[in-house]
Amino acid sequence: MKKINSIYIIDDDPITIFGIKKMLKTTVICKDIKAFENGKAALEGLTKRIHKGASIPEVIFLDINMPIMDGWEFLQEFVNMDVKEKIIINVITSSIDPLDYQKWNDFRLKSPHYLNFKNKPIYKIEASDLNRVNIAS
Amino acid sequence: MKTVESVPHNYLIKQLPKATALVDTKYSVVEASNSWLSIFDLEPKDTRGNNKNIFGFYDNHEEFSAKTLKECFLENCKHVIRHKKKNKENEKWFESVFVPWFDEKENIIGTIVQTEDITHIIEKELELERTKTLLKATSEVSSVGSWEYDIATEKLNWCEVTKQIHQVPDDFEPKINQGIEFYKQGYSRNKISMLFHKALEEGTPYSERLIIITHKGEEKWVTAGGKAIRKNGKIVKLFGTFQDINDQVLAEIKTKESEQLLTTLIDNLPINVFIKDKDSRKILVNKAECEYLGTKPEDLVGKTDFDLYDEKVAQISRDEDLEVMRTLKPMIGRETINIKKDGSATNFLTSKIPLLDIKGKAYGLIGMSMDITHIKQKEDQLQDLINVTAIQNKKLINFAHIVSHNLRSHTANFSMLLEFLIKEKEEKEKKRIMKMLSHASDNLLDTLENLNEVVDISTNVNLDKKSLNLNENILKVQQNLAGFLVKNKVKFINSVPDNVAVMSVPAYLESIILNLITNAVKYSKPEENAVVALNAKKQDKSVVLSVSDKGLGIDLNRYGGKIFGMYKTFHNNKDARGLGLYIIKNQVEAMGGNITVSSEVDKGSTFNVYFNEED
Repeated sequence: MKKINSIYIIDDDPITIFGIKKMLKTTVICKDIKAFENGKAALEGLTKRIHKGASIPEVIFLDINMPIMDGWEFLQEFVNMDVKEKIIINVITSSIDPLDYQKWNDFRLKSPHYLNFKNKPIYKIEASDLNRVNIAS
Repeated sequence: MKTVESVPHNYLIKQLPKATALVDTKYSVVEASNSWLSIFDLEPKDTRGNNKNIFGFYDNHEEFSAKTLKECFLENCKHVIRHKKKNKENEKWFESVFVPWFDEKENIIGTIVQTEDITHIIEKELELERTKTLLKATSEVSSVGSWEYDIATEKLNWCEVTKQIHQVPDDFEPKINQGIEFYKQGYSRNKISMLFHKALEEGTPYSERLIIITHKGEEKWVTAGGKAIRKNGKIVKLFGTFQDINDQVLAEIKTKESEQLLTTLIDNLPINVFIKDKDSRKILVNKAECEYLGTKPEDLVGKTDFDLYDEKVAQISRDEDLEVMRTLKPMIGRETINIKKDGSATNFLTSKIPLLDIKGKAYGLIGMSMDITHIKQKEDQLQDLINVTAIQNKKLINFAHIVSHNLRSHTANFSMLLEFLIKEKEEKEKKRIMKMLSHASDNLLDTLENLNEVVDISTNVNLDKKSLNLNENILKVQQNLAGFLVKNKVKFINSVPDNVAVMSVPAYLESIILNLITNAVKYSKPEENAVVALNAKKQDKSVVLSVSDKGLGIDLNRYGGKIFGMYKTFHNNKDARGLGLYIIKNQVEAMGGNITVSSEVDKGSTFNVYFNEED
């Protein structure tokens, strides 16, 4: 099984967090999985982490519709942080609004990170959700 | 012949003032007066004339035959011949009269010839002939005939043209009664009888257009003129002209008919028509234009737009006029607004077409204006409807997305959890998943309830608005929230005057007050006691209810667009459902009002609710 140092799950819905965590258990070995209920909380966690000198999480699962700071706002802040490592960000949403897909595509083109778009419900975590290199090769 | 006897005769004859010659039966000239000799170019002393053959004298003369001359001597009766003599410069006409010459016993002894210079008579005759021809030609060319009536003889004379006009044969000899009867029975005949009689009695001249029925039965317009001719102050004759003016009159009638047609057309067009001169003065207006301006044509002619309309509007119109006359390009179908002096405005679709003179220069313009006020109003109503529809449509799409998103997120959870449940073998984990499923089910029910509430507001078309006292409702909510307010140690400042009433659905008003108060308390600063201040005032056509707090405030730059959205919360507050503001916004708008917010982070927020008091 693939080893990953750190994974962030950002979603206001505890059931989705439960589901992702459960699915990750069977596909990856990761001792550091953290969940946040909105973008602001995640951003604060991330800043603390950088301050401590720890590495940036390799994979982020990001919901779009959240109170206080939604997925797009988080993504914008994250892009502005100018992180050197290329992170895999899985945007997960139950929205079928084509505008959301369009927004995701805009971010994909301007962001240095790897962005996936996944519609809920999710039944399985794909290898591509965790490792970009495989796809690229 | 004895000389002694002949001398006195000779001498006598010689002196006769009238040119006379005596010719014997042998055609010899026996005696001749000096004047006669001079006509035939002989001197009085010249004796060559004596006993000379008479025919020799006529040798130099023309315009008669020798035979005719001879006949003058044959029969014993009077003969007259005319003869002409040509000189280098001129020609002279003569008339010779031959009468028999008798002796004392009445025996014919010869012929007496008397010759007269008639050049001036011939000239006059020719002149008369020419004048007659000229008159006839003139009369024929101009179709002007003449007539003459002699009172003494009661004889009526028509010239050829007059006869032609009457279509009678050339030898027709009219009587005065017949002449009158050619006029059409009724007005024409009565009129001519009267005029003719007046001319006859009083010498009053006339000239009148009348109708005759010709000999061939055709109706004709004529101008009949008459004038009395007096001799020694007494009317002796009537003279007059007679002109065929049928084509003219028919053409005139036709022109008048065309004119009438055009006037009827212009007048009854359901659009305003006007003609303006170079200085934009009206020179013609139709009925519609007069009706629009509420006045008569004579009051409009000569007026400019500045006399009739608001100055600004008049200036625009004048500029248009000048442009059309300068460029010679018609202005077609421009939407214009006319504002009368009394302030009433009318929308027109106006066209202006330049009027050109022979040189191609504009000397004015024709204007046509169609009143499109009612169309314009319909258009505005339609535009309003489109705007409302567009807003509604946007709302619906927004709502559809909210619904689909919220329902989808729950069903996605169901789907995922069920998948887990099927695969799960461990009992403990199964129970955990089941618990989550039931939680998801509760969430779905909650969401459906919330959506129902929103749909209720949006679909409630027939809102039963009542005039409600604002303060009474605030007090009611305050009582309901008593526990909540005490628990949160809220400082409640109500400055709403007692007499303020608003038009609202009772349940909505309660919901609005409740939500704004609880929101203000919920988002107060954790370390401070909440302060809620309420006030109300009348503003134009609405009543404004203001609810202010000194709480956390909202970053409007960041969240301004989302503040009244569904499920949007901006603070870490466990009670925040993100629904209250969305619902009250829908309620306020459903009642024709609106809601605004002003806020500053860490200073507080003020929500203003505008109740529509008009309808």
